Amino acid sequence: MFPTPIEKRSPAGRAAYQALLPVALILWLLPLIAVAVFSIRPDADFSNANYWGWPSSFEGVSNYSKVFLESDMPRYLLNSVLITAPTVLGAVALSAMTGFALGIYRFRSNLWIFFMFVAGNFVPFQILMVPVRDLTLDMGLYNTKTGLVLFHIAFQTGFCTLFMRNFIRALPFELIEAARVEGIAEWRIFWYVVLPLMKPALAALAVLVFTFIWNDYFWAVVLTQGVESQPVTAGITSFNAQYRAAYHLMSAGSIVAALPPVAMFFAMQRHFIAGLTLGAVK
Amino acid sequence: MSGVTLSNVIKRYGQVQVIHGIDLEIADGEFCVFVGPSGCGKSTLLRMVAGLEETTAGRMSIGARDVTHEDPAERGVAMVFQTYALYPHMTVAENMGFGLRMNGHPKAEIREKVAEASRILKLDDYLKRKPAALSGGQRQRVAIGRAIVRGPEVFLFDEPLSNLDAELRVEMRVEIARLHKEIGATMIYVTHDQVEAMTLADKIVVLRAGRIEQVGAPLDLYRDPDNRFVAGFIGSPAMNFLEGTVRNGAVEVPALGRAVPVPVRLPPEGTTVILGLRPEHLGLVEGDESFTVELTEALGGVSYAYLVAGNGERIIVEERGDQRSRPGRRVGITFEPERAMLFDAQTELRLR
Repeated sequence: MFPTPIEKRSPAGRAAYQALLPVALILWLLPLIAVAVFSIRPDADFSNANYWGWPSSFEGVSNYSKVFLESDMPRYLLNSVLITAPTVLGAVALSAMTGFALGIYRFRSNLWIFFMFVAGNFVPFQILMVPVRDLTLDMGLYNTKTGLVLFHIAFQTGFCTLFMRNFIRALPFELIEAARVEGIAEWRIFWYVVLPLMKPALAALAVLVFTFIWNDYFWAVVLTQGVESQPVTAGITSFNAQYRAAYHLMSAGSIVAALPPVAMFFAMQRHFIAGLTLGAVK
Repeated sequence: MSGVTLSNVIKRYGQVQVIHGIDLEIADGEFCVFVGPSGCGKSTLLRMVAGLEETTAGRMSIGARDVTHEDPAERGVAMVFQTYALYPHMTVAENMGFGLRMNGHPKAEIREKVAEASRILKLDDYLKRKPAALSGGQRQRVAIGRAIVRGPEVFLFDEPLSNLDAELRVEMRVEIARLHKEIGATMIYVTHDQVEAMTLADKIVVLRAGRIEQVGAPLDLYRDPDNRFVAGFIGSPAMNFLEGTVRNGAVEVPALGRAVPVPVRLPPEGTTVILGLRPEHLGLVEGDESFTVELTEALGGVSYAYLVAGNGERIIVEERGDQRSRPGRRVGITFEPERAMLFDAQTELRLR
């Protein structure tokens, strides 16, 4: 078996493993730990350059209540929800339909259209920054949640279509043929036969897209500004004022912002992993 | 009133023609079996009747209606697939009633028809189950039930028993025969298993490479095949073929080491022909050493002896009774010359 299970290594190897593993773990988690510790430090620690020492006092409760009660964080969180939920819904719904069309129907340009959906994923999104910003400006959607949602849906649909199309391809085609012989309209086949069978794919995709969109920072910064439209990832920076940066609040805000996707991950772990391996192992 | 007529039906995939102008008449209420080796086009032809494959050229009608370019739904056919194709997320009752429900039939009518089908197929105990909780035979019964519920003019079966184990296959075969008797609808059945073909069919259509080789009642095909292919395909184990030459009004067969006076109009002197002998029409004799027993298969009631001739040709002989020849023994064979069939070596057509 490869690699050799650790229990079967030499005692020295095992000791080294046991010593190094926690170190590696701490190194790996250090940024997260730092943010978590920052979020309970008092403001004074930062002015006194006490970044890594013992906190002079524990201000967790006051920091977090400030984040929720005295800042715009709740508003940003709400924005995030209002951006993420429609995007997930839109991208999953659209890609279920495109996936059905590309997976079931044999038409001349089927493969080419599919390749275009796939190829879109390979375009580095940074090069789209300026044209997309101009486009949203022209459409009057700059700095609106709608603009961000529309762009996210458009951009996510490529990947989602790849995912859905492959899943639908793996369904037994006889099911569709059986339904056709029974005289069932195509959209009803989609709704009553294919969609129920796609439930695992829908769940997995919804979880994936949710984390992608919730964690998006780039487009949030490019397409929105200000509390009325920015999601929480971008909103955290508002703790940096012109003359001073409230690191303790920013850290607390970051933790709050990170919680929904983490919670989502743990709640939907099964689907998330299914989503990553679906289609890969068939 | 709802027979199926195919006239010069052709199927092409791009440049490749796979069905080469089929003419076929299936009478109302007839049980017609398409049989042939894999790749012969039998499933394609069935799917063309169903409307799942487009017909490239020719005309197809069900009853008096020309359905050549109609959608599957408009043809009044129901199809049973080899893989059952049951909707996995629906119960047995929902599976059977789905087509009617989607086409807006009233609930009471659906319930009545599902109940009727489940009575015929003995599915009453399983109506609430999902397909995953059923055995293969039960699943196929549900698939048949789904076809019955719609009351189609024509039933299409695409190798419905191929996924079942041997025992269930026999059971379902009987069930399908019973169903045909009870419903009396036209049925077209595709199989590569000639036992299914022989036992179920009113009419067998033997296909090879997209062409009809012969059409006829099962026993007619067995007794009176038109060509070597049909003769070899119908009957189990397959017919033996030995090469021979016409000499002095008889067929000289090197493997037998003698001339056989086959009572047919023989081709001219010197023509190469093929002698066809069914294993069940042969007997073993002592004293003649033309063949060596290679192997025997004892099936209980009968056993099959695999013989090899001095010139390397092989034949199978059916033995009855308790006598079994042992491998390595040298034997001769005996048969009535009237039972032998003769085929042209070039065209493979039967010489009568």
